[in-house]
Amino acid sequence: MGRGVAVIGTGQTKHGRRDDLSYPDLVREAVKRALEDAGITPDDIDGVVFGTMPSMMEGVALNHLYFAESLRVVGKPMLRSETCGSTGQSTAHTGIYWVASGLADIVLVVGSEKQHEGDAQATMMTIPEPFMRLAIGGAPAAFSMQAREWMGYYNIDEEKAREAAAIIAVDCHEGGYINPYAHIRVKITKEDVLKARIITYPVRLWDVCPSSDGACAVILASEEKAKKICKKPAWIKGIGFRGEEYFMGDSSKAVWRSAIEAAQEAYRQAGITNPRKEIDVAEIYNPFTYQELMFLECLGFCPFGEAADYVIKGVFSPGGELSCNPSGGVLCTNPIGAAGLIRLAEAAMQVTGKAGPHQVDGAKVAFAHAMGGAQQFNGVTIVSSEL
Amino acid sequence: MRRVAIVDVAQSSGVESSLNLMEFTYRTVKELLDKVGLRRVDVDTYIGASSDIFHSGMSCANAFDFDSIGAFMKPASRQEADSMWAFYYGCLRIISGHHDTAMVVGLIKGSENAENDTITSCFADPFYLRPLGIQETTAAAMQMRLYMDRYGITEEQCAQVVVKNLGNALYNPYAHIKKRVTVEDVMNSERICDPLKAMECAPKSEGVCAILLASEDRAKKLTKRPVWFLGYGSAMDTFYLGDRDLLDTKLKIAGAKAYKMAGINDPRKEIGVAELCESYAYQELLWCEELGFCAPGEGGKMIEMGITGINGDFPVNPSGGVLAMNPYVSRGLYRIAECFLQIKGRAGEHQVKKRVKRALAHSAHGFAGQCHTVVILGS
Repeated sequence: MGRGVAVIGTGQTKHGRRDDLSYPDLVREAVKRALEDAGITPDDIDGVVFGTMPSMMEGVALNHLYFAESLRVVGKPMLRSETCGSTGQSTAHTGIYWVASGLADIVLVVGSEKQHEGDAQATMMTIPEPFMRLAIGGAPAAFSMQAREWMGYYNIDEEKAREAAAIIAVDCHEGGYINPYAHIRVKITKEDVLKARIITYPVRLWDVCPSSDGACAVILASEEKAKKICKKPAWIKGIGFRGEEYFMGDSSKAVWRSAIEAAQEAYRQAGITNPRKEIDVAEIYNPFTYQELMFLECLGFCPFGEAADYVIKGVFSPGGELSCNPSGGVLCTNPIGAAGLIRLAEAAMQVTGKAGPHQVDGAKVAFAHAMGGAQQFNGVTIVSSEL
Repeated sequence: MRRVAIVDVAQSSGVESSLNLMEFTYRTVKELLDKVGLRRVDVDTYIGASSDIFHSGMSCANAFDFDSIGAFMKPASRQEADSMWAFYYGCLRIISGHHDTAMVVGLIKGSENAENDTITSCFADPFYLRPLGIQETTAAAMQMRLYMDRYGITEEQCAQVVVKNLGNALYNPYAHIKKRVTVEDVMNSERICDPLKAMECAPKSEGVCAILLASEDRAKKLTKRPVWFLGYGSAMDTFYLGDRDLLDTKLKIAGAKAYKMAGINDPRKEIGVAELCESYAYQELLWCEELGFCAPGEGGKMIEMGITGINGDFPVNPSGGVLAMNPYVSRGLYRIAECFLQIKGRAGEHQVKKRVKRALAHSAHGFAGQCHTVVILGS
């Protein structure tokens, strides 16, 4: 369907606390790196897709207007796709459809966040409507409830879940430590995670992502252009996006239907029947360790209710059967509007051998994912080194 | 390129509604589904258009409106800022061959959020523009002053746009502001930001507009006379007002791209109706010039001669335009819906006299029209 589409360049800022530059300049840093990586000039771009978190995050609304110059979009068309946390996947999908339609040959996709200029948790308190807001708000509360729901639903032993979460935290921080762009770059042990202070039970400090400033840019090109200007493109093989009800109580968050169906759609398009075997690297959106456990099940990487066992066996650790979040994931770097797009950038870097210190040897097929909304949305993109 | 058509449209009224946003939205979406005879699950993909800043104090707009646009467990997405982008995204999904039908829904409940300019002042950066009090109205006042100075456009000519558009709105069942006014009424209304008068500024309105798109094959099965998507152009300008000539906007680029795609050489002759986004009265005149409907500086004469009247040679905003109905984010889709109705001859009392083969819909947002988008439809 449509034309072939490839990632021909990616760019990330150094993520973290970036008091050294303004928000538009943060965006510019990522855009510049992506253009350099692809070896093209702004003139080559036919259109721009941008997305970020709600305006309350940094206090500037419709900030694509403010970023017009940084996005190199002056005189050009743009689209702005936003689906909360899954924005990064939604913007990428918009660019993919745009190129696949034939109405653009090269599209620049950008996501950004500068969390230190605002208050992320205050913003997230305003995602639930005013009545629900009184009972639940902010990310840790919502996701801790989800973790408890999952543990209860499958009757998972609490010690086992904690151990598996700790292994994920240690693995991710090891990836973050060697990833030059990551925000949190420290070495931690399993003991550190297990003994860390509780944020919202059962989530402890090292189970939680940071608040980061950062931006990411990805350049997409049509099959014809990609073959002409890029030695090693990362080909888009499948995309999927699903969303569910707004009110959290309306659906199970342990058997998370939007995650399951988004992944299945992408697998269908990519012709993947056994994801754990056929995929080499997975960049899963994991702002909380317990969520990664649930995602491993819902995204089809292990049987339902068995994620903790698989993680403890080391299946998803570095050198395991399926390497998960070698970049350190969202757990180490979380500029929200960019975080979902960073997953795609990292997946593309892995299959093109450009991931540097955290390269997974011989990676050919990679998986990128993001989730968002009031635990509602899941988006998936699959890339491959082969068309 | 795969052809894309509009199968049908549904609109809500712009008048304040007691329904909450979820029900208010769902009603219009359901009306369209019923009209076309499809179930929610029959539509391949859903694209919403909503904006966080216009979302009644709630963040992540589409988290709340996702169920009500019908998108549950469907391939779906959302555009922020301008619903015309959502229309384009729906078209792209069909042209790419991934989907055959797309529901595009723009939604906003103006009665539930702050004054327009409280919101538009948040478009300004916090360091340079916001402390100066720049928002859409103050930026527009500067643009209007420059327009009058450079081309000798008079305040009365600008006021005539209000008279014409509110007059048209009297016959549009969905319009928000319905009032028969004279040039004197407009001239005597409060000067809120010199030279802009209160009646020359768009109100804030409710507005849910739903449009069903389909590929050629599907469209022909769903309707006898589809209206075709022929052209699209959009362009962004620089952010700071001082970096631009406010009378040389990127609408020229957006229009030229749309004309090229639709194969239009002489817009004034080949287009039957134009629906423009005139958040401020003078902008209709300026946009007419930039879209090539008349020569630069001739916008004033065009309205004086009655050319853009509903029975004129070149009707502009027969719906009453944005001056009569301003649901900020969805207003782009309303322009498209009106063009659809005019082409189908279904606009009722505000149907233009001559037969419309091609129509132009325009949308703009940002200070003094920083971003413009143009869509061309045809029979």
